[in-house]
Amino acid sequence: MKKKRQLKQKEISLIKGGHAFYITLLICLVVFITAITLLIASFNRLISTHDQNLSGEICVLLSEKMNSSISSMTNSAADVASVISAQKESSPEKIYTLLKENPDKNYLSAGLLDDSGKLYATDAEAAEFQKWQLRETASLADPVSMTMPYRSTLYGQPVVSVFSRLSYGGEQEGYLFFTYPLSDLQKLATTAVLENDIEIWLMNASSANIIQCAGADAHAVGSWTNAYLAMQNIDSKDRNTYRLWISEVRKGEDKVGISYSIEDTFYSQFCSKLESMPGWYVVVRLPSHALSATMNSFRNNVLYFLAVLLLVMIFLIANLYLRSQRENEMLNKLSIHDPLTGALNRRAFEFAAEQRLTRGPDAALIFFDIDFFKQVNDRFGHDAGDKLLVAFSQALQKNFAETGILSRFGGDEFVVLADLESKDALSAILAKAKEDVHAITIDDSKTDSTGFTISFSAGAACFPQDAGDLNGLKQCADAALYKVKESTRDDYKWFEAGKN
Amino acid sequence: MKKYLSAALLALLLLCMTACSDQKNKEGDAPAPQPSDFTALTDIEEGRPDIYLIVKLIDSGYWQVIIKGAQEAGKDLDCNVYYAGTSIETDWQGQRKLLETAVSRGADAIILSPDDSVELSPDIEKIHKKSIPVILIDTAANTESFDICYMTDNLLAGENAAKEMLSKLHACGHADDETLSVGIIVGTSNSQTISERLAGFYQFWSANAPSAWTIISDIKNCNGVNEQGESMTVDLMNDYPDLAGLYGTNNGPTKALCTAVSKQGRKDLVIVGFDYSDEMKALLESDEYNASTMLQRQYDMSYNGVRSALDLLGGNAPEVKFTDTGVVCVNHDNLTDPDVVNVLQHN
Repeated sequence: MKKKRQLKQKEISLIKGGHAFYITLLICLVVFITAITLLIASFNRLISTHDQNLSGEICVLLSEKMNSSISSMTNSAADVASVISAQKESSPEKIYTLLKENPDKNYLSAGLLDDSGKLYATDAEAAEFQKWQLRETASLADPVSMTMPYRSTLYGQPVVSVFSRLSYGGEQEGYLFFTYPLSDLQKLATTAVLENDIEIWLMNASSANIIQCAGADAHAVGSWTNAYLAMQNIDSKDRNTYRLWISEVRKGEDKVGISYSIEDTFYSQFCSKLESMPGWYVVVRLPSHALSATMNSFRNNVLYFLAVLLLVMIFLIANLYLRSQRENEMLNKLSIHDPLTGALNRRAFEFAAEQRLTRGPDAALIFFDIDFFKQVNDRFGHDAGDKLLVAFSQALQKNFAETGILSRFGGDEFVVLADLESKDALSAILAKAKEDVHAITIDDSKTDSTGFTISFSAGAACFPQDAGDLNGLKQCADAALYKVKESTRDDYKWFEAGKN
Repeated sequence: MKKYLSAALLALLLLCMTACSDQKNKEGDAPAPQPSDFTALTDIEEGRPDIYLIVKLIDSGYWQVIIKGAQEAGKDLDCNVYYAGTSIETDWQGQRKLLETAVSRGADAIILSPDDSVELSPDIEKIHKKSIPVILIDTAANTESFDICYMTDNLLAGENAAKEMLSKLHACGHADDETLSVGIIVGTSNSQTISERLAGFYQFWSANAPSAWTIISDIKNCNGVNEQGESMTVDLMNDYPDLAGLYGTNNGPTKALCTAVSKQGRKDLVIVGFDYSDEMKALLESDEYNASTMLQRQYDMSYNGVRSALDLLGGNAPEVKFTDTGVVCVNHDNLTDPDVVNVLQHN
């Protein structure tokens, strides 16, 4: 039964126009979302390429800044040596005292290696010289040299020592040394904008050892590792490039850059040779996303704007559509329904009936004619006649709603195209309709309607047995109706080919 | 059809809401490891200072030596010593809880071996600000807010390992102009201790090794899995016909090297590693294999740690903040040296 109702709704919807709007809307949505996705992907690629190029440039600039900062650190040691030399002080002990009492000292410790190689320092500092072979670094001072970072016994933190050649007492030469915390290099390298993203290391060319000088986590400063071990964390596709980068540094190239990925993050890395630390490089690394934050924010705002715009547009289109649909429904009602009874009008019926017959299964076309309708109009008036037509239509609708399509064909003539499971089944429905029609009363206070019974005459024809098209069926059903009207009325007949 | 339209609108709205989100669920499903509770190492007596020792891996032989050092110091120096530790060496969150517990129980001094030198630094700084003496052992933290640190200077230990490797390779008859390579296996790529041992090895090697002698740049990382370390060792043997030496940066990879070399019968290879195990002991005692290991003085670290804690409580600040307890290089030739025998007794 449900299936039949669905079929009928389908036939009616064919008349109303279908789902074209929703399909169009869906296609528009898909196109819009695809376009936005492509736009975002393209925008992301653009940002990525731009950031990769820019982060490389920033690494170059920062490595140069770091290089010059370290130079200024070593230069300040050279300046102290020049000032002391200018004072013409000939006693190493007095020079050592001057260093210790220097009110502007910005170093952890300072001392002196005199012309004879005697060290002026505390016992703990002297132990550091022994442990880290600092005399070797001192001998490289021309006029300054810097040690590799080492963990200070005195301070428990990584430090660097700077040696500066000193002339004193005429022709005597020695070396001043100043020890600075490695974290001072971090201060030199800090940039307010990128301080949470930029990482700076010192790298030894011959061993490929690296020590962190600056990074987002201040506690990581002073951590040693080796570039070959660090390579283990890089995406495997970039490891060969990284290996080549290490090789170039170890060969002594002045400046070498590289880009690589770790998981989803793209990094630019650049190193340049440190003039004040022979064999050492400053390495600067920057994740490209560090530069993307502003652009990403802009992209997200554009995306939010487009999403809101889309929602507003969908709302407006849907609103317009629903309004238009309501108007169409009204127009449809007016164009396909009989305004008095609500049954299909003749044109709509013929369209729906053609569709139904094309679909195939057996059907029956039944013509109905209200008996003596003219008398009703004449005796009780046209209002009563109209009411009868409505009541009659409702009686037929009640009985044929599940199986057929009802139409008011004109005047008091109605037609039903019903599914035909069997003549007996349909005859039973007709008999029931007959009873229902008999039960219709004419409600008129002015005229006595007692004894006036409403009835109908009906003629039915079978598809495809009696006729293979609608016109043929109509003729057959009409012929059967005529037979009934000729005889007793208040009855129905099936078309019989020979007899009609 | 209206409900389909509503569903489409809802889906689009959700798409818009999630399109720009890059939130990732970083929480793992595995249950968090639980640190042990504090246990008394000495008799607890009223009026004596309470010293809390927090170690890394409570069940390991290496750390048991450290616990023993603290226990004997507690008995010798007349103080109460408690200890606790974590079940895995990376559980710095567990150590953070232990630090909080020690403070809440009124610790007079804390001796800590941090599971993570970076992550625990803020906690160490917080405790130090409360004027509770903090002594670090075995591993430093990346902060200045501690009183003294007793540990092996791993950079120097790595240098010593490279020195031993070069010495043994020469002793095996390898000429300076002979092409040979040395393979390295590390236990993890994220430990400062291991990184420094590796950096020290490279540093000494690059300054002193003949130019024809190279370190294989493909450093193997067994990620703490000894079986993986064994198979990596075999790979090195197969892939590098000129392989002459193997270096293990810590106990796990060293055990793996010893096992693989022993199974393959590669008596021509020089092994240099860290710490003491049955596998290393077997090779050290053999006349045929060339194995050396760097033994730390972990007993001294904790013993001196307790002593320094008491000094600090007595108002005597140490002259230095960092004391390198050094390593002892043990090989077949010096097994009977008194210093080596003494260190082996504490391993």
